[in-house]
Amino acid sequence: MKRVSELRLYCPAQSQYVAPIRHALAAFLEALHLDRSMRDDVTTAAGEALANVVEHAYANSSRIAARDVQLLARLDLGGKLSVDVWDRGEFIRRKPLPGRGFGLRIIRAIAQQLRIDTKRGTCVSMTFGGPALLKKR
Amino acid sequence: MNQSDSIRTIRLSGELEIGRKDEIREALRRSASDRAVLVDLSDVTYADSVALTELLRFCVSSSRDAIPVALVVRTPQFARIVQYAGLAAAFKNFDDRDAALAYLAQSGAE
Repeated sequence: MKRVSELRLYCPAQSQYVAPIRHALAAFLEALHLDRSMRDDVTTAAGEALANVVEHAYANSSRIAARDVQLLARLDLGGKLSVDVWDRGEFIRRKPLPGRGFGLRIIRAIAQQLRIDTKRGTCVSMTFGGPALLKKR
Repeated sequence: MNQSDSIRTIRLSGELEIGRKDEIREALRRSASDRAVLVDLSDVTYADSVALTELLRFCVSSSRDAIPVALVVRTPQFARIVQYAGLAAAFKNFDDRDAALAYLAQSGAE
């Protein structure tokens, strides 16, 4: 698959890095001429995935030295935008507590597709757009 | 933060996100003297689910004590994330301060 644009960011999984990563993603999407509401939605979904990493990924993983997070955003020629957020930690499936666990719900509401791969760390893969996204560019 | 006899105003601005969790929680601390609370989010440019959780906690806790809470929201991103989280019914949102104050007054704050 040909890719027209790609952004890759890598940093420690700490709360102070979430906003700068989100800002960089927003700038990338702006450079791709996505409209404001689409940019807001994609960065909101990515922000939720990043916040999940900071809050949960390494909470039970004291043996993991490199507590980092990676974001990969790419737009293919078909107009499909994907954002992957990857960490080396442990994905914990738990029953949502009342008044908690809105992050994945928000991602599901925004992303066209959501895939969570837990084979090596956790990779949250979100796709957005398609022809509708191209029209907005 | 401003406080009058009847309606307390809590003002938050900028990006309400995980990096400011403690600050948001501190700003949304309940006060024993509260009769009604206006949470002014007019200058908020972004909010995430961490901020929504703190706001929800504050609204639910206030509601238990029959303290009305109104939010002033002007950012489309905030309105949308509330919808995406399925929390539209949990907050009393207004797009201007006067409407929020009128609601609080009707709710018995004045």
